[in-house]
Amino acid sequence: MSGFRNIKQYTDATTDGKTWTTQFRKAVGSAATITSSYIDYSYFAGSPPANFYASTPLESAEIDLARGIYVPQVDTQYLQNIMVMTNAASATSTTNQRQDLTLVDYLMYYPFFDSDAVGEDQDTSNTITLPRYNSGQVICIAQSASSAIGQFTFTYTNQDGVSGKVSPVIFTQIVAGGGQSANAEISGGGFHPYLPLAVGDSSVKSIERVNFTVAGGGLMALVIVHPLKTFHVAQECRRTTSGNLESYGSAASVDSVIHTAGAPEIKQGARLGIIAKGNGGSLASSTLIGTLTTVWS
Amino acid sequence: MGFTSQDDLIAQITNNGKYGTTICQKTLPAAGTAGAWTDLGNAAGIPVAATYGAADLTFTSTDDTWSEGALYNGGNVDPATKHFLSAGASCVAAAGAPWFIMAVDDVGYVKLSGTNVSTTGTKTVTMTALGAGARYPNGEGLRMYMSALGALGANAPTCIVNYLDTAGNAGATTTFTSTASATSGSLINTGAAANKYNPFLPLAAGDTGVSDIVSVVWSGTAHASGTVILHLVKPLWTIPVPATGLYNKVDFVNALPSFPKIPDGANIRFIMFQTGATTTGGTVFVDYDWAYGG
Repeated sequence: MSGFRNIKQYTDATTDGKTWTTQFRKAVGSAATITSSYIDYSYFAGSPPANFYASTPLESAEIDLARGIYVPQVDTQYLQNIMVMTNAASATSTTNQRQDLTLVDYLMYYPFFDSDAVGEDQDTSNTITLPRYNSGQVICIAQSASSAIGQFTFTYTNQDGVSGKVSPVIFTQIVAGGGQSANAEISGGGFHPYLPLAVGDSSVKSIERVNFTVAGGGLMALVIVHPLKTFHVAQECRRTTSGNLESYGSAASVDSVIHTAGAPEIKQGARLGIIAKGNGGSLASSTLIGTLTTVWS
Repeated sequence: MGFTSQDDLIAQITNNGKYGTTICQKTLPAAGTAGAWTDLGNAAGIPVAATYGAADLTFTSTDDTWSEGALYNGGNVDPATKHFLSAGASCVAAAGAPWFIMAVDDVGYVKLSGTNVSTTGTKTVTMTALGAGARYPNGEGLRMYMSALGALGANAPTCIVNYLDTAGNAGATTTFTSTASATSGSLINTGAAANKYNPFLPLAAGDTGVSDIVSVVWSGTAHASGTVILHLVKPLWTIPVPATGLYNKVDFVNALPSFPKIPDGANIRFIMFQTGATTTGGTVFVDYDWAYGG
């Protein structure tokens, strides 16, 4: 049996103890992030511990299970609720407000593409295949600061198993540190979390190589993810320390079934984390905290 | 049991008086740890600070008549059932925000002190397994966490708790790394580091609860001194508190699952997550409404 047939089964799972609440806290590093661009919270310190995509260059790998948000290792598990707040970097900072967040399952990654290797085939080694799902979306995460707007394509196997597919030209962006989205849809703007694919393709099973045509001056990982839930946190949490003392803040709480149709499945072995688009400005030195509740049938 | 409709809920409250509000107020006895959870059981306030006075390594059941202090929730109502309608919380402290406040029903605890903390090895617990007649039959839905009672000594050993699951089968938690010199009330299995679990100890795969605590196993370098409390609780709900002085209210009538149940005898207590280190003397206020029908 898989999933829930009705509301009663869904709520009975909680009564029967088939539920888990876990809590996470991620503190963004001090390097400035780009307004309206994405960051990868998994890269930053906290609980779970930071995930730097530090493994053999260009070789497919899974992130450590312990570096994903903890959930029990059970089958047919679903997201029941996610609740987050974002703590400001200082008493006066407001730049971490208005974040679009997406809970993702990190499926597989390829680390340490060199964006200065112009004209080189950076061939990957697919030592593992996708551990969950048939295919996924690709995010591009900086593993260092970068100094220039580069250009690259990547060659991949699409959702139907067709190899040799080539992406459109992708522009990188100048970032101040690792953990930030390294790609922009066009030079200098147009941020989007997922890399564009060839016409007609919806997702990616594996990546074969990366080719830079313009140097970007940094290192980056390509990560295949499965998006689970997108939500929004509106206001930063902070307390002023001078003048009329005032407190600010809000929480975002999203219930499956009530706020969205159904409940996203969290597959056994999932490495959960959050990517975020900071619309208010830099997310540097801000902290995202949250709870995540799952149920299983 | 429960409410047959929204009309029934309104009638039970407005005509039959089957309704009440409970408040809790706590003052933190020590500074918290950034990124960790704190148990408010030994904080002064309403109810009074618990001292966890039982003998070591013996499971002590608690309920709403616990001699060390418990919140009054209107007493037993069987065959009716009592349910939360809403809850609110606020915190006032110079540092520590934002916070999460989680309500738990404290089913019982095991105290470890003296050489049961300052030496490693297996510490066998005496407990009668929870059966079908327990507040949570066979321990269904119960979770565990471990807190410091008073300041804990240096060193950070690893720890596993062995237990029996709801079917009576042996299980063991994931190994966690304790917290050196934890402040009073801190949950020593929580924090922002490897091998920390927030806020509950992970159970074996597929387990849905704990019917019996069998032993606590310390490894590595033992804590230099201190007392810890292993809690067995049922998680109830969580409230986010974004900043000092802000009061946040959560509705359980229109939630899913809705109307969390307050079993007869529930000993409702609170644990708190702090993003920063909450200041000593910080205050926590929680209130909740409940009603019963049937």
